[in-house]
Formats: sequence, C-alpha cells, structure tokens
Amino acid sequence: MDTLVTIDNIRKVYKRDAFEVPVLNGISLEVERGDFLALMGPSGSGKTTLLNLIAGIDRPTSGRIVVDGKEISKFNETALATWRARHIGFIFQMYNLIPVLTALENVELPLLLTKFSKKERRERARTALNIVDLGDRVGHYPRQLSGGQEQRVAIARAIVTDPSILVADEPTGDLDAKNAEETLELLRRLNEEFEKTIVMVTHDPKAALRAKRTLHLEKGLLAEGQYGHAVEEVAG
Amino acid sequence: MKFANLIFRNIFRNKLRAFMTLLLLAAIFFLVATLLAINAAFERNDTGGTGDRLVTQSAFSLANMLPFAYEEKIRRVPGVVDTAKTQWIGGYYKDTRNNVALMAIDPNKVESVFPDYKIPPAELAAFEADRTGAIVSQELAKRWGWKIGDRITIKRQIFPFDPQLTVRAIHHHPVQKSAIWLQMPYFQESIGNFGRSDMIWLKVAKTDDMPRISQEIDALFKNSNDPTETYTEKEFTRQFVSMMGNVKVLFMSVSISSIAMIVLLAAITMSMSARERVTEVAVLKAIGFQPRLILTLMLTEFASLTLLGGLIGIGGAVLFYQSVDAGAATQGLLENFRIDPQTTTICVVLAALVGIIAGGLPSIRASRLTVVDGLRRVV
Repeated sequence: MDTLVTIDNIRKVYKRDAFEVPVLNGISLEVERGDFLALMGPSGSGKTTLLNLIAGIDRPTSGRIVVDGKEISKFNETALATWRARHIGFIFQMYNLIPVLTALENVELPLLLTKFSKKERRERARTALNIVDLGDRVGHYPRQLSGGQEQRVAIARAIVTDPSILVADEPTGDLDAKNAEETLELLRRLNEEFEKTIVMVTHDPKAALRAKRTLHLEKGLLAEGQYGHAVEEVAG
Repeated sequence: MKFANLIFRNIFRNKLRAFMTLLLLAAIFFLVATLLAINAAFERNDTGGTGDRLVTQSAFSLANMLPFAYEEKIRRVPGVVDTAKTQWIGGYYKDTRNNVALMAIDPNKVESVFPDYKIPPAELAAFEADRTGAIVSQELAKRWGWKIGDRITIKRQIFPFDPQLTVRAIHHHPVQKSAIWLQMPYFQESIGNFGRSDMIWLKVAKTDDMPRISQEIDALFKNSNDPTETYTEKEFTRQFVSMMGNVKVLFMSVSISSIAMIVLLAAITMSMSARERVTEVAVLKAIGFQPRLILTLMLTEFASLTLLGGLIGIGGAVLFYQSVDAGAATQGLLENFRIDPQTTTICVVLAALVGIIAGGLPSIRASRLTVVDGLRRVV
C-alpha cells in the first residue's frame, strides 16, 4: 500500500478576538491508500479540525499536508476549491442536501463543475444512487426521504466524482441505530469493494469498529492505539 | 446554462415569499413605468404639429389676451404665409369629468394654418357656413356618439358662456383627440366682442426662418402695452405643460423613491434568502464551487427575480395602457399615452439593477463565507 495522505507536524490555532486558541499541536500522521481511518476523541479535541485540514476546507497555521503527492497546505483558496472538486467526497452529519433539488439533482451537483454532458452527468448520478441502493428514489426531494435515505444520497453525492478520499464527519450522528448500521455497512462496502480511502470522525465506538484503524485525539495531540482497546471492548 | 436549474429552484424555494416579492416588484415597476412614460410624454411634447407653425402669445401670460390688430401686423412680417387667431375656452360635456379642449378659431383659417386636422372639404365648408358650427374630433364623436348635424352644448369653464353648437365637421388629428373648434365670431359675440384672443398662430414659408420671424414679431410689440412672445409649437406645448407645476420633477422624485423603496425591500428579502442558505453555500464550496461562481449564481438568481417581477409589471403596464383610453381617463391630459420602447428598456435595466444592487451584499458575503464557518453556523 502507498501513502495517500501525509500530515507533517501540523499546528492549527484559531483566533477568537484577542485570544489564540490552539486546536492541533503538532500532529503527524500518514493515511495509506485504501485505508478506513476513524478519528475519535472528546469534543474540542481537534478531530473535526484535522478532518477539515485533510479535506482542504481549512488551512493549517503551520506544518505540511500532502495528499496524493500534492502539498495542499500551500494551495490558495481557488486552487483548493478546484482540488476538492476532484479529490474529496464529503459526508456530513446532517446530510446537507440541497432541499430544492431532487436526489438525482443533488448527486449531480458536483458533476456540474466537470465537463461531462448532461446525459453523462445524469448517468453517473444514477449509477451512484444505484450503488447506495436508492435507484428508485431519483425524483424524490430530501423532505420525501428518511434520514437514512438522505445520508445515502449524500454518500452518493460524495462518490459520484470518484474522489481519492471520502471524509465523513459524524456520518451516523443523526441516525437511529438501524440506519446508522446501514450507513456504516455502506461505507465499509465503499472501502472494501470500491477501494475508497475513508477518513471518518465519530464519537461512536461501534462506528469506529467498522474502520480499519482508529486514532484518538486528546487536546490536539494524537494518541494512536489508545482507543483501540476500548473499541474492541465495545465490540466484544 | 447547466446552473439554470439550480438558480430557478432557488428563486422559487419559498413559493409564497417569491410570489409576494414578484407581486411587489410588479406593482412597483408598473408604477415606475407609468410615471416614466408620463414624463416621457411630457418630454416628447408630441402635438402632432406640422413643424412650420409659430404661436404668438402675451409676454405676461396666456391669460393676457392680444388685440386682434396684432394679427395684421404679424402677417406682414416677411416669411409669414398666413395667420389665425385662436382662443382657449375649455369646457366639459354634460359631466365635469368629460373635459374637452374647446377652442375658438377664425373659421376660414382652419385649412390654411391647421391642415394637420384633416377635415373633409365638404364638412369644413359646412363649418365655415354655420356661425354655431363645431369641428369635433373623431374620438370624441365616437365616445359620445356624435354625428354630423347633432346639437351639443359644452358647459362653461372659464368664460360666462355655454356654447350651443352643431357638429358640422369631424377632424382626424393624430394627437389632438379631445379638440373641438368653434367659430371665433360666435365666441366674440357671446362674450361681448372683446376684440382680443390669447393666441395668434402663424404659418411660415421656411422653417429655417422661424428664429428670425419670432424675433421680428416680438420686436414689433416690445414697447407696447401688450408685449409678445413667439414660440415654436413644440416650445409652446412645453410651456403649457409647465403651467401645471414642475410635474416632471415630482414624477421623477416618486419614481426614484419607488426604486429606492424596492431596492431596500428586495435587499431584506434577499438577505433573508441568503442567510437561510449559509450551510448550503458552505456545502457547495466544500464540493468545489469557487467563490466567484457562488457570487455569480446568487447575483443571477437575485437579478432574475427582480427582472421577472419587473417584466411582469412593465408588461402589465404596456398591455394596460394599450387596452385603456388614457386620454379619456385623464380628460385629455394623456392623449396617445403609451409605454414606449425607451421607457420599457429603462425599466427592464432598472429591474435587473435592483436585483444586483439589493442582492450584491448578501451575495458577496455568501461568496466570502469560509466552508468551516458556514458549516459550523448551523451544524
């Protein structure tokens, strides 16, 4: 396996008025291609910030982030947006679908930034919806779908451009147990069958169990393996 | 074009709000189009004249009449082809709402000085032969069912005189659609042979000579008790309109206030709409939409909304004034009133600008929003 993400001594400090709030304090880590990494930790530990940095929606105060051979920490806003469109698929806790668009149109959205024809876009969006088993819901609006179905549409939107990495921020946080299970199973399939690299933030030890690797963050520092035992205990 | 669906869906994401906003925009632009068209009509001063006429009136005001003797002196000015004394009388038919532009004229001068009234020769001859005869407009005849030979009474407005007239001719003037002519002798006899009239019209041989002729005429009476001012027909109409006060400034003020009001109202609506979509904008940016694209999409959406509302209002105004006789409704003030192409263009541009101005700030804010801030705000 080769390294897809390299994070080298990353620091992130937020400025709140006159105060500086350090969130990440010199984290280094590598994510292999095809990995399924779970980031866990208490609120404020910096796991979402780390996820945002890997996804290129936030920039580090210092340090280096290299994804698929590109040092994205040096990119400007415009370059980052273009890079995200090609390499990142987002899955949010609250699904964040566009309510005025149908499931098919929501999934098609990232493809509007490509040069595909309308027919090609629609075909790809249908394929993505079929993968998440929602091929019969293409014309439904988000309000006409259950929470679990909405999250699956969001996953279809995340995979439709065939990105290098899927980043998921608490993907089961707003779902009941059954839908959470289905969503996690879908992520596992995407990782194993479609060889998608996934980085997932979660509070849920059961969710973390689906990952191949779990990292624990505490006060902006990494504690690899520490949480693995807890996860295994829950699973047992 | 591939973003058209997204823009369209966002415009109508809150149907009630979109409908109410469109209704408000349509109403405001109907009003603005009307006011600008009235201003344009005044500016145009479209009297439908022949272009070769001058009019002499008192230098003091139209209420000061000029002695009949002036006519002969004016006629002798080189370049003057013919002259006609006229007198504004005004009045209404049956009801005070039915105002007419009643004027007295030397009966034998209608054809030579006012050929643009297009009167059949036989009817004109009948008018000249009947001291109480009247020439009425085709529109008035149609409106009130007048026919040749009908007896009509016009009620007084200025002078103590209710003319009882017989319709002898029907004129087909393209603009003066509420004009009625009666004979100057009948008017003079009825008010006691005053021997004065408020205007003397003159036809010139060459339009290039008009400035010289005007100066010569006014110089003739400069030191008399009744000095004159001589204008072209267009200038005269402009002066006449200005007697109503500075209507143009008033209408422009109302138009500008209306536009300012709609900009503020649209800005509130658009700010609400943009604020509701902070998370959505953040998601769009996360999946790769550039800030410039977000700005373009939102501005296009807001400008489309105001443009659509504007088009409904402007289109409504065009159709409304095509189907309504504004001349009759305004007692002849707005004859031939219409929303002209220039006014339509101005209003359409204004409608789009309202969207861009009102939606500018929320769109810029949305485009500058960072993904992290946008997601954090609701999630």
